[in-house]
Amino acid sequence: MAERDFRKKRLDRGIKARSDTIFAVASTKEILYLLAPRFVPVAILLLLPLFLESYWNKVLVYACIYGLLALSWDFLASCGLFSLGQSLFFGLGAYIAGALNYYFHLPTVVTIPVATLAGGVLCAALLSPVMRLRGVYFAMVTLMLPLLLMKVVETTGVFGGTHGLSSLAGFPHEMLAIYLAIIGFLVCLFLFRRIMNADYGLILRAIRDDDRSVMSGGINIYWRKSQALFIAGAAGSFAGALMTHHYQFVGMSTFALDYSILPVAAVALGGPGTFAGAALGSMILVPLSEALRALGGLRIAIYCGILIVSIILLPEGFFHYLARKYHQFERIEKIK
Amino acid sequence: MSLLIYGLINSVILALYTVGFSLTYGISGIANFAHGALYILSGFAAWTFMNAAGLPFWLSGILAVLISAIIGFVFYWVLLLRLRGIPLAELIVTFAAGVAILELLTWKGFYGIRYSLPVLVRGGVEIFGVGIDYQRFIVLACGVFLVVGLWLFVHHTRIGLAFRAMAQNERTALSIGIESDWIGSLSLAFGAALAAVAAMVVLPLGVMESTIGYEVLIYALAVAIVGGLESTLGMIAGSFLIGYGQIAAARYIGAKWMIIVPLAAIVFVLAVRPSGLFGKFKELEERV
Amino acid sequence: MKKGTILFSIAVLITTLLIIPAGPAGAAKPIVIGVPTSLYTPFGRDGLKAVKLAVEELNAKGGVKVGSEKRPLKVVVADTRGGEPSTPVHDALMAYERLITKEKPDAIVIGAFRSEVLIASMDLVSKYKVPQLGTIAQSPGFQKKFMKDPKKYKYLFRVTTDALVDATYLNNTLDILKNKYGLKTAYFIYQDTLWAKAFSGLMSKHCKKTGWKQIGFDGYAAGATDFSPALTKAKDEKADLIGMVWDVPLGAGVFAKQYAAMKVPALLIGFIPPMASPMAVKTVGPGVEYAMSIEFPVGASLPLKKLPKTVDFLSKFKKKYGSLPEAAAVNSSAYDAVFILAEAIERAGTLDPDKLVAALEKTDYKGVSGRIRFNKQHIAVFGTKDPNETGVCVIFQWQKDASGKLRRVPVYPDFLAEGKIQLPPWMKK
Repeated sequence: MAERDFRKKRLDRGIKARSDTIFAVASTKEILYLLAPRFVPVAILLLLPLFLESYWNKVLVYACIYGLLALSWDFLASCGLFSLGQSLFFGLGAYIAGALNYYFHLPTVVTIPVATLAGGVLCAALLSPVMRLRGVYFAMVTLMLPLLLMKVVETTGVFGGTHGLSSLAGFPHEMLAIYLAIIGFLVCLFLFRRIMNADYGLILRAIRDDDRSVMSGGINIYWRKSQALFIAGAAGSFAGALMTHHYQFVGMSTFALDYSILPVAAVALGGPGTFAGAALGSMILVPLSEALRALGGLRIAIYCGILIVSIILLPEGFFHYLARKYHQFERIEKIK
Repeated sequence: MSLLIYGLINSVILALYTVGFSLTYGISGIANFAHGALYILSGFAAWTFMNAAGLPFWLSGILAVLISAIIGFVFYWVLLLRLRGIPLAELIVTFAAGVAILELLTWKGFYGIRYSLPVLVRGGVEIFGVGIDYQRFIVLACGVFLVVGLWLFVHHTRIGLAFRAMAQNERTALSIGIESDWIGSLSLAFGAALAAVAAMVVLPLGVMESTIGYEVLIYALAVAIVGGLESTLGMIAGSFLIGYGQIAAARYIGAKWMIIVPLAAIVFVLAVRPSGLFGKFKELEERV
Repeated sequence: MKKGTILFSIAVLITTLLIIPAGPAGAAKPIVIGVPTSLYTPFGRDGLKAVKLAVEELNAKGGVKVGSEKRPLKVVVADTRGGEPSTPVHDALMAYERLITKEKPDAIVIGAFRSEVLIASMDLVSKYKVPQLGTIAQSPGFQKKFMKDPKKYKYLFRVTTDALVDATYLNNTLDILKNKYGLKTAYFIYQDTLWAKAFSGLMSKHCKKTGWKQIGFDGYAAGATDFSPALTKAKDEKADLIGMVWDVPLGAGVFAKQYAAMKVPALLIGFIPPMASPMAVKTVGPGVEYAMSIEFPVGASLPLKKLPKTVDFLSKFKKKYGSLPEAAAVNSSAYDAVFILAEAIERAGTLDPDKLVAALEKTDYKGVSGRIRFNKQHIAVFGTKDPNETGVCVIFQWQKDASGKLRRVPVYPDFLAEGKIQLPPWMKK
């Protein structure tokens, strides 16, 4: 009963209100307030590989790769394309890089950029027939496509069939792979945020909110959507190509459900719509999954349990929760 | 002839996989991604009742169906209540719950060839020169019974009509005194129970393994999408299309193409006719 | 408040779970054997049980002598989930790598389950220089990759058979069936993975050469759950014999039940775990009668009177775990692998990987599965002649004994046979 007499009141912190405007330059404190949430995580991420042992560095690469997939998911979601098939992007990139290296012996300097671009184009081309679908229907097609490709590889035996292509070229030094992953991830994160805040992103978001009105504004939404697919696809393909060379192996399991579902889980955990949430979510989920390996057989079950509990408790996502705490304070007020 | 008969049986199996999923989605709009997990869970539950408690198959079957229904009901109140209306969270939570169930099953040691439900009647007959076992007849009968029964239930009972009201317009349903949470949780319970019923008749055909959970989910999605998510007729049509497609592909192209058929069917149908074969109500505005 | 307590209790739960697995510190530094495999499959589970059994036996004798010091063995396990087709290979490799870098095993036994994971893990194992005695994956891709760079991959050994050996056994049985029993038409079904295809391909090739009439050679996807097209075909075209190679339990179970239910009048032969397992009568029903299956190598699940070591191993296994191993393959290899490793360590007198590999190469061990020696490709040599010369396999048939109980009777090769092949009554002309 008592709860009904009170309510929570949220107010912006003073420093937030002050630094919201251009007067932020007025004091170092305010500049710090603005820059800290951006620079501290970046600095940590860049310094971390120097202090970790080799196994945890692998985990870091894994986290960055899932991070890239989560970012590409969030990017598509920002223009109303709800995808469940990030593994399509991942797998295409992985196979392009792998095949180029295996059959034509091209070095990684060539395969990764080519796989990134070609992967993006291919993703856009493959998904263009279903671009007009919305919501759960688009999700279903994207969920099925990688599974379909996986079965095709299995059935026809192209690209090594069930055995995959192995002994591919690796990176000359492990640190190179790690920093490539981290930098790729960070660039993607800030680039996507930038794009979404520019006019270009405004149109994409408008497509999500009300595609009819965008169409009536004389803008071809399908062309825009295919551009978005290209960008998201390129990010995913980059992740796939990186993974291929990092493990010197590519196989049909790059189309596995894990690569589709985990990024979505990361976004659900971190909070959609801001990219930072997606990044944060994958930085939490992947190390968590590795830490749980000590538990053996129950690992995935507990992992799912934690995921469920955190989504139920914080349906808005971790990032939104943290951002609110950072910018606002709360107090309980009596209802008059 | 055998193509006709086995195609029919295959289609009915697919319809059985789908009927629960489609019911839940049709009513409350929740895509229950734990559907496959509940399916296989009830299979293992029945096995446990039979082998650990020594109950007869029919009794353990009924118990398993009840358990599955209760789990579905509890799912709604524990997992989904706070998340209604956030499709992303709904999907991830049900999927994670499903995976958790499957993982717990494997962890408890439920894998391997010893786990197999018995068929109700052993043996088989020949019809038009095609040998069929009795269990497949039971599957057939059960499939027809369920679909017809469901149709009658939804169109001619109080709860059924409330279900339909919810499906058509949740707010209006609320305003005439249909409690949406109650109906939503019932819809999950019914869906889960139907998954368990399907498990009881289909699983005796082979052995049980937790990976079946994923497979059932994929097939259920495939059929539901191809047919149109909300129509019973569409679901039947979808399962026949995929069911016969699979058997025909196995016969004329090569057996390994069987699994590709449903996947290709989805992609093709959605690209050509986005509302599914028989999607009616929510046709264009929602899908395209 | 409520949220806080929930979060807190979760945190407590996790920390306790993380702390518990830390084991007690031993006195003499144990030799660590790593077992990264797909634990939640019958092969992985029973293989691990066999390894633990062998380790227990060795430890009861005081352990393994390294130089002058006797050291106990210790098993560390990692679940790679590699047997589940949906697991990404990268994920399995992470588990593999974690085991190697965290637990620092001196050697690895059992190893990957899926061929895909085996092939991909070869680079990893040679990078960390851990001698590995693989006992599950049978892909011929192993030799192919091995020969590309024998120096790099020298840490990898395979203690079990490969598809070639298994097929030779079945081909010889096919000859007997044709010459002595007058079977003429054959139909082959295989699971569409590389090793099964290679395996059944060898059988089909042999059939063509020796004058069988072959009505089909069909691959089914590993996840297939309906075999009516194949069974109808076999029935319509009057096949005398269905040859089948399948290792995923799910599809094989459906096939076995469907075969029994559709009453296809053909003799079944091949490798079909649910029909070969000791539990087949319960799983499949009385329909298993007359089905023939290969067990590779011997001693995996069937005690053979003429090879006392198999009886010995399996009765120990049954005594410790309450039932026989479930799958009719590779369990005895896992058991042998531990002894081979122990012997090599004693001969090398050190745990240094390169010296250990050199000792392993000189292995000559008489175990449950026969005499094990490695060839140039680091593969255990198997043959069909003599268990005192090479490793051997066995082919058995489900037959009714005098009391009408179904049991598995070894029928080939002759030096292991306890009975003759019986044709089902519906096939006698």
